[in-house]
Amino acid sequence: MPAAILATELSKTYDVKVRDPGINGALAALARPHYRQVRAVDSVTFAIERGDAVAFLGPNGAGKTTTLKMLTGLLFPSSGRAEVAGCDPWTGGNAFRQRIAFVLGNKQQLLWDLPPEETFRLNRAIYGVSAADYTARRAELVELLVLGHLVDKPARQLSLGERMKCELAAALLHQPEVLFLDEPTLGLDLEAQQTIRTFLGEYRRRHDATILLTSHYMADVTALASRVLIINRGRLLYDGELSELVARIAPIKRIELVLSEPVARARLEDYGRVAHFAPPSATIEVPRELATAASARLLADLSVADLSIQDPPIEEVIRIAFGEGAQDAEAEEEALVRADVRRAPP
Amino acid sequence: MIRAGARGAVAVFRDQYAELMRSAFLIDLQYRASIAIWLIWGITEPIISLGIWWTIAAAGAVGGYSREAFAQYFFGVALVNQATLSWDAWNIDRWIREGEMNYRLTRPIAPIHEAIADNIAYKGPTATIILTAWIVASVFWPAVRIPFEPGRWALAIVAIVLAAAIRFLNGYATGLLAFWTTRATALVELQFGISLFLSGRIAPLSLLPPRVAHVAGYLWFPYVLSFPVQVLTGTVTTTAQYVRGFAGQLIWLAIWLMLYLLVWTRGRRHYGAVGG
Repeated sequence: MPAAILATELSKTYDVKVRDPGINGALAALARPHYRQVRAVDSVTFAIERGDAVAFLGPNGAGKTTTLKMLTGLLFPSSGRAEVAGCDPWTGGNAFRQRIAFVLGNKQQLLWDLPPEETFRLNRAIYGVSAADYTARRAELVELLVLGHLVDKPARQLSLGERMKCELAAALLHQPEVLFLDEPTLGLDLEAQQTIRTFLGEYRRRHDATILLTSHYMADVTALASRVLIINRGRLLYDGELSELVARIAPIKRIELVLSEPVARARLEDYGRVAHFAPPSATIEVPRELATAASARLLADLSVADLSIQDPPIEEVIRIAFGEGAQDAEAEEEALVRADVRRAPP
Repeated sequence: MIRAGARGAVAVFRDQYAELMRSAFLIDLQYRASIAIWLIWGITEPIISLGIWWTIAAAGAVGGYSREAFAQYFFGVALVNQATLSWDAWNIDRWIREGEMNYRLTRPIAPIHEAIADNIAYKGPTATIILTAWIVASVFWPAVRIPFEPGRWALAIVAIVLAAAIRFLNGYATGLLAFWTTRATALVELQFGISLFLSGRIAPLSLLPPRVAHVAGYLWFPYVLSFPVQVLTGTVTTTAQYVRGFAGQLIWLAIWLMLYLLVWTRGRRHYGAVGG
């Protein structure tokens, strides 16, 4: 079976106008504009099988959205090829557009002044969905996203989370094979984030849909995707299992303790690095392979009310991956190379 | 699933238009107070012009226009202008600037159809309101009565539809320059300023200096207002005038349609190259 999303050596270079600050700079740029070429996406190659959910991670400006815009046919690549749902995104025309959905968390397509029901009706017609399919799909989406009480209220009166749920329903009425989601939970409260995560997982299972999403919320990633693509400065730095990334880049475990008797911080340092100390609770980081032994010793030596062993939070992993504080791209990349996470693309 | 075949495609297209027009009309209803104000503004301008020419023509006809002829002309201007308004450049400017163009480009319908449906949904009802006001006015004010000639009225409808299409494509294609520049709406405003004179909006073209009127004849402006108003009010009389008018309309329609296609394909490519 061909891959649902296939990107081969995909690159995008922009000409960016460079100008000095201030009025003089603006005037000079008017007279003699200078351009600098910026490689927003640099030879990115990956394949995603039908039914998979993959998260695209990277700092702001890394090239995530530019890649999504190329895969959805909005942007033409400077070089390279892509195939999505069996179509070329730039020449696939309406047949291609029928097979995908692109949801941008910070942009809406709901008709602002009208109830979401009207956007649903409009999208049914725009995507040429038959009446029977529309009825069934609408009912399914309303049930999964718990929209019953929302669809008749003008979109402008809905909360951000409610709007996003309706936005997703509107985008999925034509039952796309491939979903591109750019920050789908941006700015939402925890409950709404959770609903959307659960929904996307369920939708993918039911319809064998392929999902490629970007998010700043690691909970989105851990809940939805087992595979991650890490991109920075336009280059794909990692493509693989999330758990493997965590194990390789941050081979530690965190032991979270609640102590029933006061203990000096210095004493805890005998067991590992004290990452957090706020009596009665404390967090100790230990090498992954020593976690069990360290826990046993802690339980034997100290008066412990509660103890748990955790993976480091993914935010921490990503921070290490991008070498926070590193001033140049090479240093950031080195951090990854040192951690040996750079893998050949599939 | 998606209905197949040519007949299926036509049915889907009709369905798309019906729903696009429906939602545009429902949105207009939300803004009925604003629309009422725009309508009053749209009528005020020709009425002021009429007031001026009515006074000037007190002593007798000016440029072949009697007081009654001026009254009919400017009622015609109010109606035709309402039916041929063009605001799409501002929408396109917003779509591109605010990133709302992106989802429109991932839907299986070109954004121009949404604009056409929006135009029909707005102009149908509002032009009907002005037409109704004209009919009511003509009950009390014989000067604005135009002779009942169904054949000519039918031709007037054709001329108004063609005028609306030319002005729409003119505004839409100019608006699409927003793919390259942030000054597209300024270009539309510039054309609007010129059209005040050259389309016959503030005075019938026969009152312009002959050279200016001659130049206007080579542009699209007279065909989007002056010509349909004259057909409606009965000042186009000879077959030659009809032929020249409709031919001018068809030529300018073809030109703006080609310009639209050119700007759309090039602009889409440019947008694809630089993003939005």
